[in-house]
Amino acid sequence: MSLAWSRRHFLRIGSLATGGLTLPTLLRASNRDTNINCIILFMSGGPSQLETFDPKPDAPPEVRGNVGVIPTKIPGVRFSELIPRCAQMADKFTVIRSMHSREAIHEKAKQYLFTGTRPGNAFLHPCVGSVVARELGPKNGLPPFVVTPSKDIAAEAGFLGSSYDPFVAGNPNVAKFTVKDLTLPLGIGMEEAQSRARLLAAIDGELKRVEKSELISSLDEFQQKALDLIASPAAKKAFEIDSESPKLRDTYGRNAAGQGALLARRLVEHGVRLVSVFHGGYDTHTDNEKTSRRLMPEFDQAFTALLDDVSQRGLLDTTLILAMGEFGRTPKINFSAGRDHWPGSFSVAIAGAGVPPGQIIGSTDEHAAAPADRPIAVEDLVAAIYKKMGVDYTQNYHAFGRPIAILKEGTPVRELFT
Amino acid sequence: MLLAAALCCASVQLDPPGIVLSGPGATQRYIVTAVQSGGRPIDVTAAARIESSAPGVIQAHPATRTLIARAPGTAVITVRHGGATARATVTAGNRTAPLQVSFSRDVVSILTTKGCNGSSCHGSPAGQSGFKLSLFGYDPAADHEMILARHNGRRVDRGQPANSLILRKPLMEMPHGGGRLMGKQSDEYRTLFNWLDQGAPLDTDGPRIEKIEVYPARRILTSTGAVQPLAVIGRMSDSTTRDMTAEVRFAVGDTGVVSAPRDAAVTSTGRGLTALLARGMGKTATSQFIVIQEPAAAPPPPGAASNFIDSLVFARLGEVNVTPYPLTTDREFARRVFLDAIGLLPTPDELHAFLADPRPDKRARLIDSLLDRPEYASHWMVKFEDWFRNHQFNSQGRTNASFKKWIHAMVERDQPYNQTVRELLTATGDTTVQPAGNFWHPAIDFMLKTFDVNKITPTVTRLFLGVRIECAECHTHPLENLTQDDFNGMAAFFARVKVKHGYAQYRRIWYDEREGELMDPVSKKPVAPKFLGGATPDIGPSTTRREVLADWITRHPQFPQATVNRIWSEYFGTGIVEPHDDFRSTNPPSNPELLDQLGRYFSSNGYRFKALHRLILNSRVYQTASRSPDRPGESGPLERRLFARYEPRRLSAEVLIDSLGQAAGVPHRFGNYPEGTSSKDLIANNGPDYFLTTFGFPRRDILSDREKTPSLAQALLFMNGDAIRGKVESKSNALAALMEKGLDDRAIVSALWERTLSRPPSPTEWDSIQSYMSGEVSAGRERRRILEHVFWVLLNSKEFRINQ
Repeated sequence: MSLAWSRRHFLRIGSLATGGLTLPTLLRASNRDTNINCIILFMSGGPSQLETFDPKPDAPPEVRGNVGVIPTKIPGVRFSELIPRCAQMADKFTVIRSMHSREAIHEKAKQYLFTGTRPGNAFLHPCVGSVVARELGPKNGLPPFVVTPSKDIAAEAGFLGSSYDPFVAGNPNVAKFTVKDLTLPLGIGMEEAQSRARLLAAIDGELKRVEKSELISSLDEFQQKALDLIASPAAKKAFEIDSESPKLRDTYGRNAAGQGALLARRLVEHGVRLVSVFHGGYDTHTDNEKTSRRLMPEFDQAFTALLDDVSQRGLLDTTLILAMGEFGRTPKINFSAGRDHWPGSFSVAIAGAGVPPGQIIGSTDEHAAAPADRPIAVEDLVAAIYKKMGVDYTQNYHAFGRPIAILKEGTPVRELFT
Repeated sequence: MLLAAALCCASVQLDPPGIVLSGPGATQRYIVTAVQSGGRPIDVTAAARIESSAPGVIQAHPATRTLIARAPGTAVITVRHGGATARATVTAGNRTAPLQVSFSRDVVSILTTKGCNGSSCHGSPAGQSGFKLSLFGYDPAADHEMILARHNGRRVDRGQPANSLILRKPLMEMPHGGGRLMGKQSDEYRTLFNWLDQGAPLDTDGPRIEKIEVYPARRILTSTGAVQPLAVIGRMSDSTTRDMTAEVRFAVGDTGVVSAPRDAAVTSTGRGLTALLARGMGKTATSQFIVIQEPAAAPPPPGAASNFIDSLVFARLGEVNVTPYPLTTDREFARRVFLDAIGLLPTPDELHAFLADPRPDKRARLIDSLLDRPEYASHWMVKFEDWFRNHQFNSQGRTNASFKKWIHAMVERDQPYNQTVRELLTATGDTTVQPAGNFWHPAIDFMLKTFDVNKITPTVTRLFLGVRIECAECHTHPLENLTQDDFNGMAAFFARVKVKHGYAQYRRIWYDEREGELMDPVSKKPVAPKFLGGATPDIGPSTTRREVLADWITRHPQFPQATVNRIWSEYFGTGIVEPHDDFRSTNPPSNPELLDQLGRYFSSNGYRFKALHRLILNSRVYQTASRSPDRPGESGPLERRLFARYEPRRLSAEVLIDSLGQAAGVPHRFGNYPEGTSSKDLIANNGPDYFLTTFGFPRRDILSDREKTPSLAQALLFMNGDAIRGKVESKSNALAALMEKGLDDRAIVSALWERTLSRPPSPTEWDSIQSYMSGEVSAGRERRRILEHVFWVLLNSKEFRINQ
């Protein structure tokens, strides 16, 4: 009695495939591209929840710190005084105060946030951007997944393979921003480059004729993609942050967070599906207050400018915006006036793509140490991202000889949907 | 397939052999095979004549290709075809009562065969509709309880078994999401019914299945659309046999070669090699199928064999009518062997010296000289760093340098590998000064500061025995007879390994305790260390568990085989067992004799790698070209698995960047390292060089291998990146040196081709180059700039990126 194994549970035995991925196009059938793009403002290092969205003014001084609180647009809700613009716009976005994780190391915690799966030592699970790139594909000839300013261990394709790694855009907070390796070197014009490319095609042509395995064709495919990208006016425009008005650039803030957020807006406008902006410095083991007073306002400005800009351009319904870090920080201030890693509870801000604004989801105890109400797991947040974008996260990939679910667990946070 | 009834055949055979039917009514499906004179076995089940000497005892029923027991006794079954005859004795016993059905043996087998306990049905983490079974039946006791006792026992009706939900649902007598899985007349239904009728015991004392066999065990089919019937037999503990043909679940590795079986027969669908797996009653059996095309004309002989590798590989290729590709030219060979043995291009001087060498054994001499070079040690050290997972992240920063040096020394002095493995497995001490302990680092949980035996066990079995045991950590291995007990039995060898952490210094000190047990997660009892597929050893007080394990592993025949298979895979891109660390009965080697002999060669040469490299590199098989003028390079399914040619492959990140530096005459600069440092000798830090990470510098996680896929970033880096541009435009590069010599354009371009691709440009290439250059001159570009562009094209060419 034989059973025709359904292809979802296809186990290759002694076959040519090396136990890696073997089902490229099959799985797309269950995705439903919603044409929603996503911008993640990632605060690397772990921003303190107490100095942002979840202050505890009634806690003892060693917990509440020296930073004050301010009322927000939402009656009864207060934010840290370091994010006044967020406070004024609190009715335009939603905050989850009761996120929790158990990962306390940066790399692992970041990977958890970006993959929705607790990382192990066995292999790297693909991050949300890579899965989106694979399941939904590119739009308008642009790379579907972009990070700025640089590659981050959290945002990798893992076992999906480096074809789905993000495109790295570089740091836009410089004069005359150009994307690494995307523009022709100085002094070489397009015509010269194209003539050179024709010679390359001729030289490669001979090898392509006589070597029929996919080795050459796959190299070719990416070389062609690269050439297309270099020559593409759409790509050029998408990355041309210099064409934004200086006034708008000022509004976002002339720092890595602000310019990164602005670049992200341009990119999703032109068709990039998911952009992650990494803003660093939040790992305040020492001098938490001092650093927070410098950093949180940068975030505050960037996030609210982005929200405003996106709304004004009519893109809010099709753009999901998230602001998060990999964990929060210890309620009790340490001997170096700092706060250490605290995955026990932390805050995430979300807006756009139909997320009902003005909610404060969940709450923490009197020290912002643990969720008191409505605890939300990281996988639930990532499930929500996938659902918004139309990726069927219950599908399995196949790697290392076994099925691996995109998301093994996770129910999309229901308050983010109408 | 109709065969001329005339005297075609040298012999004929009835399979399975040794049929002992348990009692009247018992049956066994059979197949008949004939061996053509001077040829290969073919199926003649439908065409052969079969008769029984005593049809009242054993009746032959050719229409269903079944032997049926009618009465206790013995009969001789004779088969005849094409002039050949064979006789087999078949016995029938006198058992009339139905077999005692055991849940854990028989019912679980049915639940597995039908897919009930698969991951998409009741074996999924949440089960289906409240009915949850253990995945692939790894916990029969829990499943027994779920079926009989849970939810008030609503799933069974002991008084009227036929009314049980557990029977009615798979019949679709009531709604069932899984559909109709069996009929009322089927063996499975009868077995389940009998089980309930007999009181639904968890276990019984009845005869057990010891093993199952599938026939034919190996078959070459010579066209598509050829049908091959199958027969599966189970050998019982009471010396009877049981027809398993209808009771196993079949799976085919590659349905592009043969179809999934229907009515216990496969049909060939395309050229290639694949395995057929039969699984039932907790046992598995495998059959290997090869589908070939008969040649239009006899293939030419492959040429002289240099060593046993050649004879064995050519024999296999001959069997399947595949001609190996011709011998490489000296130029092709030189570039290839330099890259494979030492990870560098041959310099123009080295290349020309080799080409001009008149000695008939010059290739063997070149191989010897390469294996003696210091670059050999650096190149292979990197590969062993991949094997042993040496990475900054695993060792938290400080001791991966000491581990790298240790590995380098081991490669350089060609240390016997069994000694190396022993050192790794029994490593103790402070890893800054006793580096072998770094081997254990991937298994540490950094936060909890504990050592997880479950993380080291898969690495050890994969690396040293070629067995992927990690599936069995949580459930029965779906493709092999490995259970959680097997996993835990191996993990228990590491239960007394302890590590002391020094946080600030990231130091680790490893030691063994005299006590400590691994607790079985289900039974909560201590697990005794047990060799995989073997015994539970007695471990006395004068030794440690790890020493006993190291001893057993290094003496295991699969140890040298798994090792040579990895090295083979490095050279050929495909292992003899493929994937290279996936040895199992359901994944047979493509050339078992080759694997066996290579393993013996390795062990009888002191487990030293240089002897193995020398053997492989000197073989005609290694020196085969990747294509020939009248035969384009193709990775056909048989050619690849049976090594008909050298498979071109991309250069690894380290080799690529070193070659780039060589070709350009401008070595890549790595941070503060001295100029000319090879990428292989870098101590990887938190931010390895952008070029290396873009081209797949590995994470060295426990399971993942080196990234081998191309990417957009790689393409852009080569086109516009500083790495290439800087080298091409440098005023002290190879181009500058050539121009300084006052050579003309043709000589310069020729020299660039030689140093980059180890050959001169072809006539077609010259045409393109010349027309390009004259075009650029007309556009008013300077000579140096034009030559830089030509150089850029050369370095961006696909041929530069590959080894072929």
